Amino acid sequence: MRPLALAAIVAAAPISSLSAQGSTAELLGQAHQFYERLEVERALPLLRQIVSPNWPFEVTREQRVEAYKYLGACLTLAGKRDSAVLYFRAAIERDPFTELDPNLFTPAQLATFGEAQRRTFAVAVRPVEPARVDPRTARVTFTIVATHAAVVQARLAPVGAGATAPLFQGTIDGAREIAWDGLLADRRLAPTGRYELAVVGRSRLTGTSDSARVYFDVRHEVEALEDTLPDFDRRRLLPERISAEAARRDVAKGLGVAAAALLIAGAANGDLGGGERGRADVVAATAAVTGVVAFLVHRGHGAIPENVAANARHRAERDSTNASVRGRNASRVAATVLLVSPAAGEGTGP
Amino acid sequence: MRAAGVIAGAAILGGAAPAAAQRTLTVAPLVSLAEHRVDAGFGVERSLGPILGGVGTLRFGPRLALAVRALGGSLFGSKGVLDRDVGELGVEASVVTAPWLALQAGAARRAYSTKLGRQSWTLVGLGATARVAFAGGAIHGVWRATLLPAVSVTGLRGPDGAFRTATGLEYRVRTATLGVEYSLERYDFPAEAGVRRLEQLSALTLLLKLRLR
Repeated sequence: MRPLALAAIVAAAPISSLSAQGSTAELLGQAHQFYERLEVERALPLLRQIVSPNWPFEVTREQRVEAYKYLGACLTLAGKRDSAVLYFRAAIERDPFTELDPNLFTPAQLATFGEAQRRTFAVAVRPVEPARVDPRTARVTFTIVATHAAVVQARLAPVGAGATAPLFQGTIDGAREIAWDGLLADRRLAPTGRYELAVVGRSRLTGTSDSARVYFDVRHEVEALEDTLPDFDRRRLLPERISAEAARRDVAKGLGVAAAALLIAGAANGDLGGGERGRADVVAATAAVTGVVAFLVHRGHGAIPENVAANARHRAERDSTNASVRGRNASRVAATVLLVSPAAGEGTGP
Repeated sequence: MRAAGVIAGAAILGGAAPAAAQRTLTVAPLVSLAEHRVDAGFGVERSLGPILGGVGTLRFGPRLALAVRALGGSLFGSKGVLDRDVGELGVEASVVTAPWLALQAGAARRAYSTKLGRQSWTLVGLGATARVAFAGGAIHGVWRATLLPAVSVTGLRGPDGAFRTATGLEYRVRTATLGVEYSLERYDFPAEAGVRRLEQLSALTLLLKLRLR
């Protein structure tokens, strides 16, 4: 099992620095083989070389933590408990998530490691894993750790913004998962941007404090929204009032009808005895009066009820359509999925 | 008559298919006070009387319409002039070419009957109607002019010139429209034996258009 873990560490190293780390991984592998064969005295020099400042090759954080951890394990087996505690602490300080598998290490090693945990206080947050989370049904999960019992507070905030949302406050001892529903302190869905999860802990054993933070990006995955209908411009609406000029034209139109009636009667009847004007006069008078009345009425209050009603109907139809669009958009926004990805530090975000 | 039929048929065929959903039917009962004047070389003979009737209009969409009208009444002669009955059946197709202008083609069959005899008229007309809205669209001023290029009258040669012209107002009240119109038809027949026959029919008409569907 342990060889596999070491192989994973080696494989996880970046390709570009593979050659430089090859010696470190190779040496770590040899040390591990000695440890498995209980050849502790042969393993210890190799492990010390790796953590030595004089070691010329690159050592990743994981390799260094592994070397310290096995140094502690070896020294425990060698009966050098105080030194073992020191190396275990070195491992814990570099990675507070460091732990010993009870199935692989002896009770003495576990006890020594526990002593190192009690003497060392650190809090940490595990880097955020990329995730696609529907806030309605799932949560974004963060893992925090305190090396021993501590009062811990975890708060989440958009980078560059003051408002923070408390995620957790309480006592923990070891690792703990905390869930985030995707909402900020104002109970609104976290907008797209870069976020910081800050963890502050105070040891219940030593009273010392530590903090850690991790950054991550949030993006929204939401179905395309529909546009609402724009406001009516004046050209699309019927005139609701008659202008003074239009009112004056009404007089002209009425007089036009009147004149036409008189003209028809006068021109056509000359050679048939005349005296035809009576019926034409009726229409002419009616038209003239209509034009004048229309002018007077519309000059006073020129509302056009039919147009007002038609415009109101159009506005109501538009409002109804927009309400439907807003409803559908609200449903789509409510179904927003959060895309969470790790980030290197403070920045502008996605 | 044939031309009007062709136009009416084209209007129906062309407009019916795409505008089936917009087809509307309007009926308009009408009452006229008509005066008939004839000068056949013996002075002007006048007869005056009421005419009742109606117009049914089937509109095929916003542009095309087909109207059928039926009229009938009695014209009472002035002193020494015979009373006569008049009846008319006509059809007219119209096409709206601009918001304010429609072109028409139509044909009508008209009969005058007196106790002495009966005279039938066949009229074919081509015309235009201009409508101008005012008072915010609640009222329309209407001007009509129709040439009657083909008129045949039993016992007479066709007139040299014939036209019909009218003007009036239409008042829209909800779905109904009340119309008042003055119209005049004029027929100038060719001179025969030195006598030139002139004839005209004028009317003041009230009609109420009711939209049925």
